[in-house]
Amino acid sequence: MTLADKIVVALALALLPFLYIEFWGNSSQGEVVLIRSASNEDITLSLDQNKQLEIKGALGTSFIEIKDRQVRFVDSPCQGKQCIITGWLNKDGQLAACLPNGVTVQIIGRDQRFDAVNF
Amino acid sequence: MRQTVNVGCALRIIRAGGKRKANGAQCAPYIEFRAVTFFVVVFLALSGCEQRPLVYQQQVLALGTLVDISIYGVDEQQAAKAVTAVGNKMEAIHHDWHAWQPSRLTYINEQLAIGNSVSLNPEQQQVIQTGIELARQSNDLFNPAAGKLIALWGFHSDERPDTAPPAESDINALVTAAAKMSELTLDGNQLSSTNPEVMIDVGGYAKGYAVDQGIDTLRRMGINNAIINAGGDLRAIGNKGERPWRIGIRHPRQAGVIASLETHADESVFTSGDYERYFEYGGQRFHHIIDPRSGRPAQGTSSVTIIHKDASSADAAATAMFIAGPDQWRETARAMAVEEVMLIDTAGTIYMTEAMSQRLHIEIDEQIKTIIVP
Repeated sequence: MTLADKIVVALALALLPFLYIEFWGNSSQGEVVLIRSASNEDITLSLDQNKQLEIKGALGTSFIEIKDRQVRFVDSPCQGKQCIITGWLNKDGQLAACLPNGVTVQIIGRDQRFDAVNF
Repeated sequence: MRQTVNVGCALRIIRAGGKRKANGAQCAPYIEFRAVTFFVVVFLALSGCEQRPLVYQQQVLALGTLVDISIYGVDEQQAAKAVTAVGNKMEAIHHDWHAWQPSRLTYINEQLAIGNSVSLNPEQQQVIQTGIELARQSNDLFNPAAGKLIALWGFHSDERPDTAPPAESDINALVTAAAKMSELTLDGNQLSSTNPEVMIDVGGYAKGYAVDQGIDTLRRMGINNAIINAGGDLRAIGNKGERPWRIGIRHPRQAGVIASLETHADESVFTSGDYERYFEYGGQRFHHIIDPRSGRPAQGTSSVTIIHKDASSADAAATAMFIAGPDQWRETARAMAVEEVMLIDTAGTIYMTEAMSQRLHIEIDEQIKTIIVP
């Protein structure tokens, strides 16, 4: 490894914490939740409307709740209940999954096609 | 927005770095050259970020909802200051005109109910005068004097519990009392009422008024390109650099956006929907838009979207046309001089004016029965 290579590597490493904090550290509040399941089409919902959903999966029905700009699994027909243990999601990118039932819930950012959404 | 731009820069840096390394493995004698190039690339990538126009976006809690403010073309510090000013202004309006928590408005209503006249400051006069005028234009379908009906239905609370709707006799008594804005007189700064049943509730246009005031606040601070989106109802001024602001209109019954539009210079986009506030009882859903003629939630409409210049009028017009319903909305639109209207009825049929049809870009594949009314 030459000196310049070392400098490059050192600089890259030095840059890393800055990049991390700048781009991932300050995750903004999500606005849209994406619910995927094997048997249904993807569902995209806004987090600003409280809602209870029943999503049919491979084993049975997963119950999902949207409340106060958060979303969670309330119940799911799986063994480990990892999805329920995950609890409330409210940040961009957060994910909860009931893999046995094939249902995932993920918070995604705003719809980038629009500058604002009217409802 | 800002985030997207930044992530783009990050990718550029990583990509540029990778390329240098790959070349470097083959050309060992040019280490200094590589090191220098690396710095140049990083510098260019970062300065690219600096020069790229940014949309400053921030949410503030005001009017009992999340207000999303987007500002284009000014530095972050100025934008942040403006957002705070707008939030404060809107919150003050919310406080002054709150329909059920003790406010300037509840005081006015108390005085009117016992037959007193009340003195109003210039801003209050403006709000009341606007309400009187909008009610007149809508032939009282938009009726801010019918606060007692709204209260009777239980919507003067943060969360209406799922309990029984009011008794028929109570509803009918208020319909017979027929409180109207035209029964108010503003003589100089003195407001009085000839009908003790008048209870002012500015809920049908307060959001619009607050958005208008927010836009005025931005303009006074030298900001001419912005959107104030108060829980889904918005006014957009100027544009986003080279292109107009793009607005999506959410589907009233499904997830996602049903249509989109681009705003021209200065426009408000307001929607009234039966999904906004409601309670359920005995398997039936009762929404919050009360028809003053029947004293009950207006029937037949699912949502109304209006594009209009000022937000106060757009807000009131959306309510009036929701109440007018699929059969009468066109007439009401003419009376209120609103040209761009879309009404979706409870069966899912879309009605819109010719002018609206030219503005909207439908965003869903599914065929929907659409009726364009000249």
